Amino acid sequence: MSLDISFIGILIGSIMASSVPLILAASGELITERSGVLNLGVEGMMIIGAISGFALMVITDNLFIAIVGSMLSGVIISLIFGFLTQSLLTNHVATGLALTIFGIGLSAMLGKNFVGIPGKEFPILFSSLRESIPFFGPILFGHSIVLYFAFALPFLTNYFLKKTKLGLVVRAVGDSPVSASNQGINVVLVRYCCILYGGAMCGLAGAYLSLIYTPQWIENMTAGRGWIALALVVFATWSPIKVLIGALIFGGITILQLHMQAIGFRIPVQFLSALPYLMTIIVLVVISRDSRKIKLNTPTSLGRIFYKEK
Amino acid sequence: MATDLRISNISKIYPGCIANDNVSLQFKSGKIYALLGENGAGKSTLVKILSGVISPDNGEVFLNEKNLKLSSPLNAKKNKIGMVFQHFNLFETLSVFENLSIDANEDNKSLRVRINEIFKKYNFSIDLDVPVLNLSAGQKQKVEIIRCLLRSPKVLIMDEPTSVLTEQETEELFISLKKFCDEGILIIYITHKLKEVLSLCDEVAVMRKGKVVSVSQTQNERVETLANKMVGQKLAKIKKKINISKNKDEIFKVKHLNFYSDDPFETNLVNLNFSVKKGECLGIAGISGNGQNELFQILSGEIIAPDTSIIFRNKEIAKLNPKQRREYLMAFSPEDRISQAAVPELKIYENVALNNFKSSNFFEKGLVNEKKIKEHSKKILSDFSVNTDNVELKSQFLSGGNLQKLILGRELITAPELLICYNPTWGLDVGAINYIHETLIKINDQEKSTILISTDTEELLKLSDRIAVIYKGKLSKIMPSEEVTPGKLGVLMGGGSID
Repeated sequence: MSLDISFIGILIGSIMASSVPLILAASGELITERSGVLNLGVEGMMIIGAISGFALMVITDNLFIAIVGSMLSGVIISLIFGFLTQSLLTNHVATGLALTIFGIGLSAMLGKNFVGIPGKEFPILFSSLRESIPFFGPILFGHSIVLYFAFALPFLTNYFLKKTKLGLVVRAVGDSPVSASNQGINVVLVRYCCILYGGAMCGLAGAYLSLIYTPQWIENMTAGRGWIALALVVFATWSPIKVLIGALIFGGITILQLHMQAIGFRIPVQFLSALPYLMTIIVLVVISRDSRKIKLNTPTSLGRIFYKEK
Repeated sequence: MATDLRISNISKIYPGCIANDNVSLQFKSGKIYALLGENGAGKSTLVKILSGVISPDNGEVFLNEKNLKLSSPLNAKKNKIGMVFQHFNLFETLSVFENLSIDANEDNKSLRVRINEIFKKYNFSIDLDVPVLNLSAGQKQKVEIIRCLLRSPKVLIMDEPTSVLTEQETEELFISLKKFCDEGILIIYITHKLKEVLSLCDEVAVMRKGKVVSVSQTQNERVETLANKMVGQKLAKIKKKINISKNKDEIFKVKHLNFYSDDPFETNLVNLNFSVKKGECLGIAGISGNGQNELFQILSGEIIAPDTSIIFRNKEIAKLNPKQRREYLMAFSPEDRISQAAVPELKIYENVALNNFKSSNFFEKGLVNEKKIKEHSKKILSDFSVNTDNVELKSQFLSGGNLQKLILGRELITAPELLICYNPTWGLDVGAINYIHETLIKINDQEKSTILISTDTEELLKLSDRIAVIYKGKLSKIMPSEEVTPGKLGVLMGGGSID
């Protein structure tokens, strides 16, 4: 295998594709956590999104409905989480863990009849440009619309949090729900919205896996990506741009180490498989070591139950 | 335009406690009103009702004869009632400007202009783009006040505003409040500090146990009359018999206490030498931030200062940790009750158990002996008249005074030979202060010693046998307290010299 320039282009393109579900899920969870809610159900919401997207595609033969449906399914399952934690004031951690376990089980049950059915080809954009421009072609073009959306999302999220009034409200609620409530902000409503948004993004991340990345349904196909997304949010210290960097590093090293394994590097396979996790954490810890910034970005009320004085 | 705020028959009942019992009051603009009462008298409940945070079970609020339905904070805002809470309602990680803009209905540019106008008018100056967590307490309070002023309020309610302020900041606040008052804003000032009422307010309403017990003009009142109304009984005047007994044993001796820190927020201590005799109270005066924190932590063993000698009952204890020092019968009452002296989330008996001794047998073979701890805790609650007998209560629900009584009780029930306390009556009301002072005097009467580090000169003069002043980490000479006057102390605390 020659490491020529077009190969590197293709490699980078595939790294980008593999990091899409992480970016989507982590960006969604980031908004949820910024409002002070810790939802550990990312993995569960992703896998529900994956199966419902795939099932809807098989049933309706319409990819648009499948994508929208997967997001809706994420919204519905996160609504359970929202109702439990915001209205019934249950513990965030326990509820989130239950959501993941529930999601994995439910998806396996729903997916029984969809195992082995081939997926449909998802339309890619600018495929002619991909072939005609060396190096940059495979990087910039020939991807699904979801990928472009995913790469825009961290910047949009950043803009939303830093520049818009609503973003300010979300951050305020995450900082001090009591103060926010005393200022007349409906804390529970804001948190519900953030939870549902997070659910929609996790659903989309799941659908990306089952409709675009590996177009088929395999039980437990998210394979821990939800947990990686959760870790990314924390290690990126709740900064959307750092989430993007972390997701790319993780995706990049995952792909690279596969190539290294294929080439037959004299490094134990176990070490290579552990490498993405290790490197992502190291890099994010290094780029996020400004303790002042950490303090400013960390939602102070994260995971704490809020109830209004009567 | 004149503003007239009338509260009519407000009641609010919590399980086991009548917070407001048929409260009726009337306020008119152009005056500063004081709402005075001990901790737990129902002042905070009343202002929370006025600001829409909680709703009353009964009663009405009228603003210029219009019946207000204050069902939410938003509602109070719309009716131009502004509120500065005791525990700031700010978003610490957001910038000052973001804090101010969060509920503004205008674009950022014109908001900045308006904020700067307010800055100019009242001589405020705060960097708008730093996060609130970098501000001092006084600055945070200004942000809260500006947030209210931006809505051009008719009524401004201040809930215990000076409890976190320095004297300088308090003066600035009073100047601003008087200006607001002149501009026709009706000011309701909630406090338990009598002197503030007399120096700032025009009219005073006293609350006790949820009821309004008196409304009067402040010019007709004195500290004593207000104190008696607030507590509901005549407060005994406490004066300590000073005992200078030159021939008594020195029980505690500090030599060459030095402490150097790289942290710019800590004060270095330079060559402190002092000793305490049996049955004596040594007072250490000073404006806060002159090294009292560091001194307390070194004396209690939280910080081990190198090359320092501390002799207690003829033993060298400078290298021992707080627990070991306690075993030698020292006891400590830190300034910060909530985070240093007690764990607010724990129940009363669990907090008591934190201070365990080998001899107390709270833990047997690694297991908690709950029965024993609870018995012990009950004894503390009754011996030190904490107003609950429920040892299962979480400590955070105790008022400051009761928590301090619990902490002192926990420390004293082991009959220590030396108690070191730091601002033991900080933020407490008169009744509780009186009780704590009596307790401290009783300790000395029983031939036990105390070191009282305090920023309250009155307290020091009342309780100490000898007094020294700490200034920028250096200790003045130690004076017998009958030679000391408040004036002398003031000079020393400001870094001057009296010789």
